[in-house]
Amino acid sequence: MEILIAILTVFTQPQLLILVGIGTFAGIYIGAIPGLSVTMAVSILISFTFSWEVLPAISLMVGIYMGGVYGGSRTAILLNIPGAPSAIATAMDGYPMAQKGEAGQAIGVTTVMSFFGGLIGILVLALAAPFVSEFALTFQPRDYMLLAVLGILLVGSLSTGSLVKGIFAGALGIAIGSVGRDPLTFTERFTFDFKLMEGGISFIAVMIGMFGVSEALQQLQNVNMKSVRQKIDRIVPSFGTIKKYLPLSLQTSSIGVIIGALPGTGGDIAALMAYDHAKRVTKNPKVPFGQGAMEGLVAPETANNAAVGGAFIPMMTLGIPGDAVTAIMIGALFIHGLNPGPMLMIDQPDMFWFIVGALLTANFFMLIFGLTGIKTFTKIVEMPRSIIIPLILLLSIVGAYAVNTSITDVYWMLGFGVFGYFMRHYGYPLGPVILGVILSRLLDDNWRRAIISEREDLGRFFEGIFTSPLSLVLFVSVILIFVSQTPIWTALKRRLFGGETL
Amino acid sequence: MSRKLIGAIVALGLSATVATAQDYPTKEIQGIIQWGAGGSTDTVMRSVTPHAEAALGGTVVMQNMTGAVGAIALNYVVDAEADGYTLLMGAENPMLYKIMGLGDEDYSAFTPINLLARGTPLLVANVNAPFDDYAGMLAYIAANPGELKMGATGPGGLPSVITAMMNTVEGKLDVIAVPYDGDGPALTALQGGAIDVMPAVLGAAIEGVRAGNMKPLLVFDTKTNATLPDVQIATDANAGYATYLPWGPFFGVFAKNGTPDNVIAALTSAYATAAENPEFVDLMNGRGFTMMNISGEEATDFLSKWQQGTAWLLDDAGLTKASPADFGIARPSN
Repeated sequence: MEILIAILTVFTQPQLLILVGIGTFAGIYIGAIPGLSVTMAVSILISFTFSWEVLPAISLMVGIYMGGVYGGSRTAILLNIPGAPSAIATAMDGYPMAQKGEAGQAIGVTTVMSFFGGLIGILVLALAAPFVSEFALTFQPRDYMLLAVLGILLVGSLSTGSLVKGIFAGALGIAIGSVGRDPLTFTERFTFDFKLMEGGISFIAVMIGMFGVSEALQQLQNVNMKSVRQKIDRIVPSFGTIKKYLPLSLQTSSIGVIIGALPGTGGDIAALMAYDHAKRVTKNPKVPFGQGAMEGLVAPETANNAAVGGAFIPMMTLGIPGDAVTAIMIGALFIHGLNPGPMLMIDQPDMFWFIVGALLTANFFMLIFGLTGIKTFTKIVEMPRSIIIPLILLLSIVGAYAVNTSITDVYWMLGFGVFGYFMRHYGYPLGPVILGVILSRLLDDNWRRAIISEREDLGRFFEGIFTSPLSLVLFVSVILIFVSQTPIWTALKRRLFGGETL
Repeated sequence: MSRKLIGAIVALGLSATVATAQDYPTKEIQGIIQWGAGGSTDTVMRSVTPHAEAALGGTVVMQNMTGAVGAIALNYVVDAEADGYTLLMGAENPMLYKIMGLGDEDYSAFTPINLLARGTPLLVANVNAPFDDYAGMLAYIAANPGELKMGATGPGGLPSVITAMMNTVEGKLDVIAVPYDGDGPALTALQGGAIDVMPAVLGAAIEGVRAGNMKPLLVFDTKTNATLPDVQIATDANAGYATYLPWGPFFGVFAKNGTPDNVIAALTSAYATAAENPEFVDLMNGRGFTMMNISGEEATDFLSKWQQGTAWLLDDAGLTKASPADFGIARPSN
């Protein structure tokens, strides 16, 4: 009963309810604009809400977080520019749908599925937080490394066309991610003695350039082409559609919660892994992946919103941030006189349940705001290209500058934009580049940690893998996924099951 | 252009110059935080600055500028005008940039507005570690050379200084140093058993210790810590530590050298008032930080003493890229 009252605190004070609503609404737009990130918005809010009580401040932040993770899908679907890293996978099938005049339907499905994923994440947070955080803590450096290797194998899923070109693009991404002072030893890598390279290349600048600018350049080739008329009659997906994707969305939500709960990985990796998972388990999609498959929208969008609840799990149970946004929220709780840590749940369980309630409310607001105003949004795609292309370029520049208020980032962004344009031209997929940048540090840092921990002895390293059940499962998954992408697998299958191939 | 208009513009210009010299601030002040949002430096600065704003009657817009162990933020403020409208909000790291080969500038290019507080290092262990105190750990290391995994955060970080101190006082300890990018991730790894022990600032580990998720082994201070009164202090464990302690990371607000004196005075008084705010003091005490609230010559002395002690300790441990002597950092006299 007390728990219920704590959950419903949001509703007892209209001010809190309004703040969650405002936060979610603002979050959707912050998330939709490439470069304006939730992390940035929440850190600005810390100063802004300093003199407030703790509950209103948290309400606003929770709203922005939830809305922002969802908002990234908007521009991904409509313009092929993911508003946030966690919406990269969404663009792959969302944009082709918009090209076919199904933007309204795509946004509708995305919204409902984000809501569903968010709900699963919150449920796990509410019911199983201590267990999940205990599990997340058991991940050793070698497990993070194997997870990163697993992630890199997604290159196969993200490459349309030549796998070799996909691998090249992925390797390029890993190289880009390692530029700058190495965070573990502070040694300069690939900086060529340029001071401006010391801080590394902003991942957001690469993303905006590769997706935003190169897309705009691509569209410049046929400026006068008539834009696609959008069908906006069936926005809210039917119950049948939702039911059809229920099994998949449950699986991808679970991926989202776990990846979100792991300190050091967040919604971006979760969404990409979920996309890959969907591609693997969906035997006969109605539309092929990459050309507007509904499954390609359902998977990343459930996963990235489920990761929100996931990220709160270690934060609330242990005071360990699940991602960048929860790291800032821990700071906010501290400033407001609370002691975020393992004792918070014991000393102030109300705070935990209040956050659960606020997340739940934000999730509902997201559904409402997401499903209304779609018609206006889809008009964006119907605008003449001579208006929309300069707009994309403007947004890209503002976004790249805003991340670190650094003009260098704008140059990087433009450079990668032109580079990305040529990559598109020669059939190199862009997804793997971003994947490489995201995973670069996870792989590199944890490989070094793992091997240093074993006194740089490869034998001890493998002994560690084979004696830990978790590491073994991850290792076997890596081997299986790798083998399944090589010709050996097909040959083996033919021999085992006769002529039948799936 | 009429002569009257020129006259008006000149007058306006003059009055503006007079205004900047006398009334400060006349516009928003930019506060550049060296570390990421949510970290210790960030939370300390965001907690104290609103009180300073009130005392100053101005607005300080804080912005996190991370990268290269804070050197990017420091260089940004060095390159800005010395007018008091761009402040650096940082921690102890810049004092080691020169000897670590991380940059050509340190706090000697700045006037300290306020050194707010100092942190106390604490050695913590995983709950399942096969020892319960500092002596037990030393015995374990002696019995199992090269097996104990100790968390590190890169050269110049708190763990590297504490490890150097331990190696100097106790003799070379044969342990594995596992690098992490900050004490947060390292303490997480400690709780998961990826590392066995970790020297961290007390504030970062205190909640985990209170919950029984990690074992405190040794407080690196000369006096018993009020937050953890039952934990052994370093000078009791080995009198040799007295040479280097008290030592700890610190947080401070800095303005570039050459900033007008009245501006420095206004900022100094504002931050001094803010650092006395009971809410802020409570917050800092709760996190186990020791309030300093010093400025002017006292702060400059603290900085140079801190730099001398730490730089030579690291140099003697063979962890530096260049000798402190190259930069005129004198060896501490004692």
